[in-house]
Amino acid sequence: MARYGMALDYKNCINCKACEVACKEENGVQLGADKHRIWVGVKDVEGLWPNISIASSTFEPSQCQQCENAPCQEVCPTQATHYAKGGIVMVDADKCILCSYCMEACPYDARYVKEDTMTVDKCTFCSDTRLLRGETTTACQATCPTKVRTFGDLDDPNSEISQLLSHRQHFTLKTHLGTKPKLFYMI
Amino acid sequence: MFVLAEKIMKQVERFIPMRHTDIRELFKFEKTPLNILVAFTTFVFLILFVIGATNYFIYGHHAYGVTREHPWGLMIAMYIFFVVSSTGLCIMSAIGHVFEVKVLEPFAKRAIHGALVTLLSGFVVIFLEIGHPFRMMIYNTISPGLTSAIWGMGVLYSLYLIFIVIEFFFLLRHDHKWAKRFGIFGLVVGVAAHSNLGAVFGFLVARPVANGIYYPLYFILSAMVTGCYLIFLMYGFKYKLEFPTEMQKTLVATAKILGLLLAILLFFEIWRMLTAIYGGMEDRAVTALHILKSAPFLVGEILLGIVIPFLVILLSNGKAIKTMVFASLGGMVGIFFMRYDLVHDTQLYPMQTLKLTEYQLPPSFIEYTPSMNEIFIALGAVGIAITLYYIGDKILYLETDPD
Repeated sequence: MARYGMALDYKNCINCKACEVACKEENGVQLGADKHRIWVGVKDVEGLWPNISIASSTFEPSQCQQCENAPCQEVCPTQATHYAKGGIVMVDADKCILCSYCMEACPYDARYVKEDTMTVDKCTFCSDTRLLRGETTTACQATCPTKVRTFGDLDDPNSEISQLLSHRQHFTLKTHLGTKPKLFYMI
Repeated sequence: MFVLAEKIMKQVERFIPMRHTDIRELFKFEKTPLNILVAFTTFVFLILFVIGATNYFIYGHHAYGVTREHPWGLMIAMYIFFVVSSTGLCIMSAIGHVFEVKVLEPFAKRAIHGALVTLLSGFVVIFLEIGHPFRMMIYNTISPGLTSAIWGMGVLYSLYLIFIVIEFFFLLRHDHKWAKRFGIFGLVVGVAAHSNLGAVFGFLVARPVANGIYYPLYFILSAMVTGCYLIFLMYGFKYKLEFPTEMQKTLVATAKILGLLLAILLFFEIWRMLTAIYGGMEDRAVTALHILKSAPFLVGEILLGIVIPFLVILLSNGKAIKTMVFASLGGMVGIFFMRYDLVHDTQLYPMQTLKLTEYQLPPSFIEYTPSMNEIFIALGAVGIAITLYYIGDKILYLETDPD
């Protein structure tokens, strides 16, 4: 059984936002500033001139962390949010009642309301689009010009992601909450 | 329509004693300035409700001021406001007619009537907040998320509604044996449902300012306070402040209980704030300090909701029951702010702290302003509660019989 995750070489990110566009195009995400499955966070430059820390200016591409212990899944009253094949956290739009509890519970602000179905939507690792067609990459990964993202099976020791994580230091976001994210930021 | 309603009421009268079965009686009331003011305000509120609800049915959640970062707004606050009132009245009623504290028995029936009315008003509000309420009924049943506090709350509140309806039915029939039995069920399930509502917030690991044991306990305590305030308001209005001797004793006893509850509530608030700020844990302490400096908290929750009623009770030894009616009116405003702040403050600290586009500042505290539609529905729900209460008061015998 696969266990999908993503490694992000985030210091390579140039904030071109091609990933955001590709995600919207591939997954039919509506236009609008608050309708996004993925995003790029911008860390401001620290320090005052002339002691400006150039190293502090980084970009942090992010999306649903596909937590192994997902708070959104735990709080869903109708099991609309569930763990699908490969451990991907998915929303069953037929069961979603739009109580917004998952949006309230998600520590990463990774969920939004999809207007056409009026249900909550989130990153699916392209499992209902590209993976379903037999492709092995997500839209954000395929389009990235600096190869920030590596998607793959964490349980396969020979996969590119497992190899990367085995020899690169990495961290996860809000680790202290115990959500066990499957998005790994490589140092 | 009137004829049909009267036929139904005549059928109901076979099971429970009624004061009037003539619908026209509902529109007759003593034309005092206060009564006319309340009737007019209620009528305006009901019209506002129709406007707000219509806009919601046309525009969905776009009619509300909620956002991705602040998905819960005034609707959730009003729902909590009403169901807290319901649980509080149920608990206060149970002290009298279940645990047989004689001095508090006179308001047992009226309090359960109030509990029903406020619960139904709360359900109306939540019906207009949940995106797919009918789907909720189906999938809550056939695909239950057992780890979800909202699922638990839905089930327990449904049971609670059933139990208090039956309890009220037996109370109206003067069947104290069965009323007491269902009163116990109603109380236990009501307390469970209500603390579960606290857990809806307490379970949020992502929100340190809400996460923990505080809310499930605080909800029960503040529910009892709300129940006491509503008892003062219901009887203050009923007797126009000229209380009979028996009722004076009951209200003085209620005031003394309320004094104790308010002291404990103040104690809760102080320790909640101190533990949240102490140690300076980034998101929790900063949020708590922000709350501490806000007017809704200081003026609404603390001054109106706790301190003023507490001082009235403390300085008069609980005997200033006329003043307490006015303090209770302010108290209910304070209680509203408690609910509103609870919902808003939980969402204050941003989950995403980096800026997402150039030319913007990094996210700070999340802002939220209720839309006019939300305000209309919120006021409208108050109108619904007053209307339902008035109808019950008019057609049913809500005073506990002397035996």
